Amino acid sequence: MLKFKKGVVYLLFAIPVVTQLYPLLWLLFYSLKTNEEILDGRFFSLPNAPQWQNYKEAYEAGNYLKYLSNSVLVTGVTMICVILLSSMVAYAISRFRWKYGTVVMTVFLMGMMIPMQATLLPLMVIFKNVDILNTHLSLILPYIAFSTPIAVFILSGFMKGIPPEIEESAYIDGASIYRIFRSIIVPVSIPPMMTVCILTFITIWNEYILAATFISSERLKTLPFGVYTFVSQYSVNYGNIGAFLVMGALPVILIYFFLSGQITKGMVAGAVKG
Amino acid sequence: MKVLKVPAGTIAVFVLPCLLLYVCLVFVPILVSFYSGLLKWDGIANAEFIGLANFRDMFANDPVFWPSVRRTLLYALASMLEIPLCLWMAILLHRYLKNGSRLASIYFTPVILSVVIIGQLWKTIYNPTSMGGMLNGVLVSLGLDSWTHNWLTEPSIAMYSIYLVSLWQYFGYHLLIQYTGVTNIPEEIYEAAKIDGAEGFKADRFITMPLIVPIFKISIVLAFIGSLQAFDMVMVMTGGGPAHATDVISTHMYNSSFLSLKYGYGSAIATFLVAVCLLFTVVINFFFNKLENRYS
Repeated sequence: MLKFKKGVVYLLFAIPVVTQLYPLLWLLFYSLKTNEEILDGRFFSLPNAPQWQNYKEAYEAGNYLKYLSNSVLVTGVTMICVILLSSMVAYAISRFRWKYGTVVMTVFLMGMMIPMQATLLPLMVIFKNVDILNTHLSLILPYIAFSTPIAVFILSGFMKGIPPEIEESAYIDGASIYRIFRSIIVPVSIPPMMTVCILTFITIWNEYILAATFISSERLKTLPFGVYTFVSQYSVNYGNIGAFLVMGALPVILIYFFLSGQITKGMVAGAVKG
Repeated sequence: MKVLKVPAGTIAVFVLPCLLLYVCLVFVPILVSFYSGLLKWDGIANAEFIGLANFRDMFANDPVFWPSVRRTLLYALASMLEIPLCLWMAILLHRYLKNGSRLASIYFTPVILSVVIIGQLWKTIYNPTSMGGMLNGVLVSLGLDSWTHNWLTEPSIAMYSIYLVSLWQYFGYHLLIQYTGVTNIPEEIYEAAKIDGAEGFKADRFITMPLIVPIFKISIVLAFIGSLQAFDMVMVMTGGGPAHATDVISTHMYNSSFLSLKYGYGSAIATFLVAVCLLFTVVINFFFNKLENRYS
């Protein structure tokens, strides 16, 4: 009886493995098939002969590497700025003796409830006026702004827990506040900074709407927007579309394969602390 | 522990760059948007101040608005419904497996992918049989030919097809959050309860449930507020069509502003969206504070 129950539970565990992973696997098969095989529509069938040229054609027809390097650039710059700016604010909030610490914190917390798309229209008008529409800057600036609240929240929560004695003695020894920040606070805060990095990476790497609204030049598109353009323009060969989707998913899947522990932990920490 | 007394200049160096950027790119646009909601404006030519006329139009004359609000709320309800299931699975994972987090991180995979990939993938899955759609393929091979549909182009079911994709994508996210919550409950409590004769379902009911409330709340808030803001998934999959059948508040805002070029009207909808998000955040927090007080 007990064994039977265990069997049922394991079966239950297996169901989501199939539902969550099979669609992705199906896409992989899809990307290696000929049009005829795809239109056949069987929900499980391996490609007769893997059509690797789907990938070659997709790679040649789209600007995969351009999109990829744009995404790396935009996400990378955003991550660096978020870490730097938000850790400084977090330090000021958690340690400095000043009147407006809680006010600043509240301002950041309020922003967490504001949906990004509500700023889409005014940002576009503003960016048009300062003439940075259709540049990477028009993406990086709002990306930083929308990533800071959660970052400040996580980092200040952590910094409040650092015992102040080390800083006090460094202060007495004549270290400047910048020196203390750089040599004591930053090294100690690496773990929460990793969490912030992961959260920022996943959100910004995958962001589509701002990119699609603010960017119009082909050579500036980030990967999600690039994939979207490719798919909507290139509807003749289904295999190529599948191949481009797989290529679009590949970077983040690879990173997840090696860092799944940190990524899941970081995202849950972000959710729980947010 | 506010220990460091630093000069105002230093505080400014630490705080201002981030704060200014943040205020300029989040708060100023929101305020601009509130104001633009009071204008009749096509985004280019002179704007005309028309007071609350946009809001009157929105509430009284727009045939798309209220259905889109209803769909948004349904979206939020639908995405909350899977959370009890996730909690139940999380409890089972914790009870039956030594290292359940490995399995949970497999369930998590769709969460890390862009909506563009997820949306396009599901568009192909939802394709009509003639285009090799997987879902219809499954139905046909089960002999359920009559159940096949054009999942995204039939107005009566297109919206439900999109709900399903969101449920699918975020299943692993909520499961993992709940699982983390369940594993953080100290084992000693269960052992003590076992001595008092509470095991299995009884332990779930009287120990896990009350202790998991804060984590459960986090999932509910994320799912609810996330769906109120639901936008990119709908944009990628249908863009609000066919014939507004899948318009939610955000897509209606986007289409009014960028397709119909009614910037003022779009801003009014954006204002409504912000108000709804704030309102529900307050309501949900109030509700859960009551619940937590009752349990503790």
